[in-house]
Amino acid sequence: MKKILTALACLALTLAVAGPVRAADDFKLGLMCPVTGKWASEGLDMKNIVSMLVDRVNAKGGIDGRKIELIVADDAGDPRSAALAAQKLASSEVVAVIGTYGSAVTEASQNIYDESGIVQIGTGSTSIRLTEKGMQHFFRTCPRDDAQGDAAARIIKAKGYKNIALLHDNSSYSKGLAEATIKSLEGSGVNIVFYDALTPGERDYTATLTKLKAAAPEFVFFTGYYPETGMLLRQKKEMNWDVPMMGGDASNHADLVTIAGNAAAEGYFFISPPLPQDMDTENAKTFLKDFQATYKSLPVSVWGVMAGDAFVAIEEAMKAGKFTADDIADFLHGARNLPAITGDMGFDAKGDRVGDFYRIYTVRSDGSFVLEPKI
Amino acid sequence: MDFFVQQLLNGLAVGGIYALVALGYTMVYGVLKLINFAHGDLFAIGAYLGLTLLVTCQLASTLPPFYAVLLVFVMVSLMVALIGYLLERVAYRPLRSAGRLSAVVSALGASIFFENALMLIYGARVFVYPDFLRPDFTVTILGFTIPGMRLLVIAVSILLMVALQAFMLHTRTGAAIRAVAIDQGAARLMGINVNRVISLVFLIGPGLGGAAGILVGIYYGQIDFLMGWSYGLKAFTAAILGGIGNIPGAMVGGLLLGVVEAMASAYFAVAWKDAVAFVVLILILIVRPTGLLGERTADKL
Repeated sequence: MKKILTALACLALTLAVAGPVRAADDFKLGLMCPVTGKWASEGLDMKNIVSMLVDRVNAKGGIDGRKIELIVADDAGDPRSAALAAQKLASSEVVAVIGTYGSAVTEASQNIYDESGIVQIGTGSTSIRLTEKGMQHFFRTCPRDDAQGDAAARIIKAKGYKNIALLHDNSSYSKGLAEATIKSLEGSGVNIVFYDALTPGERDYTATLTKLKAAAPEFVFFTGYYPETGMLLRQKKEMNWDVPMMGGDASNHADLVTIAGNAAAEGYFFISPPLPQDMDTENAKTFLKDFQATYKSLPVSVWGVMAGDAFVAIEEAMKAGKFTADDIADFLHGARNLPAITGDMGFDAKGDRVGDFYRIYTVRSDGSFVLEPKI
Repeated sequence: MDFFVQQLLNGLAVGGIYALVALGYTMVYGVLKLINFAHGDLFAIGAYLGLTLLVTCQLASTLPPFYAVLLVFVMVSLMVALIGYLLERVAYRPLRSAGRLSAVVSALGASIFFENALMLIYGARVFVYPDFLRPDFTVTILGFTIPGMRLLVIAVSILLMVALQAFMLHTRTGAAIRAVAIDQGAARLMGINVNRVISLVFLIGPGLGGAAGILVGIYYGQIDFLMGWSYGLKAFTAAILGGIGNIPGAMVGGLLLGVVEAMASAYFAVAWKDAVAFVVLILILIVRPTGLLGERTADKL
């Protein structure tokens, strides 16, 4: 009887020891994304992209002989579901989590991962405050809301405009972008000769344009959305005023040209993340070829591709021999020149992505948007 | 000076459209003492129907632009007039004896119905009128270069208002409408068919609103299913400003509101133009509670 008990105890001990050892062979990676709900198309892209990249690594025998086990949890694009998904992933003992799309959704899961000591890499969560909480395990591959202002200021300086006009539409996005641009322009010698807000949803902006023209700017930056941008361009053309005009990524919509008309829209340019099909790095080209071969379509937007970038960050950490959450976090803080899909990627001490990401699109005379070379 | 005149013209063009929409509010109010909140949406329906006829039914590509636009103006006015007539029969006539508040709620309901119907039929996307319909010429007056379409908008608005005023003052039907506006009971005793007069008002007002919708579509190009609400609100304000129930008042109120907005943008801040315009409205109403041209009506005992 004693023998049997000892044998059982030994067996239990072996299993208890062997269990974790066998599990440690596979690197457990979580993916939290909206597979259902209003952002399902983005979520499906995220899932497809990360699964494809994981399969690619596993097909080569994994990293250091360790394969990656991907566990997907659906957050439905909703903060409450995100908290549940985060608990599910935390209890499956993942080392790192990729996701998710939407700042509020990401925020709902941040604390759960942080308390469990899991690395989280946000992919479509641009709200500034997410990385201002001092969380040591949080990173993101998307730019922050204020990064667009930096990009706008850089372009204005690069183009050499000295007297510029800024116009927003009082929405928090548009006003925030205008204010971030002003902040980034401080001390650069660029004068802001006009700063005001229009009311969105109206038809007639000639009074605004007449006032703008009287301020004699060399350049106009309107940070609002495409319907108002289209009306401004159309009425600017009617006034025979050919001042160059720029917009933010909210004007990246095909209807912009329909509203303004080809002639009025020609020469207008806006800053925006590049569309997936326009990404021109070697990594991006390989990635797009693989993606099209696997799924017979293109990613719907750049935000899904950001999940691929997050995977690259973890893959690089693993290649450097970092397999625990703390090691990965240490590796990523201050990392530079990681070969991400959307271009070189690095992270600063807060976990924000380093590197310029915004590009310029110009409207051609036939109404098409053309990606400009990097400034 | 140049700046001032430019802004004045900007304001007049915007105001012309406010005035045209305000006519519909003021006519219905004058006769029924009902604020037809669905009027703005009838205006939006006009813009959508115009686009459908011009583009989907290909009137714009089969006829010369001028005749196509003229034909569409007539057809859309008739169609929107019919919708206005049906609106009155379905949403207002059954409530006529039920007090004014019920009718106002019914009007708000009709407005929400029309907005959502437009969204469901056409979709929530922005639609755009074909660009070649817009006459592209400029006029130079006293050294000022003005886009021709601006003058056309102001001229069409004034023409329609003058025609309407002449109709009200110099025809028997106009006299009947005025009689019903003053006292429905007495008008009925004089042998006027009150129901027919009210139906007529609901044909004319929406018909003009539909025409204004096409005007906005052709000039500004962009139409969406919520445009009726924003224009409706401004036009309603213009009608109050001029004295609701008074046709020249709608004209004066519309043009004044447009000019005040333009001047507020010009000399104050663009972001504050609506605030300034409404402060002016309040000041005017404090001094003249019945509006600029509104008549003080004696309370009935």
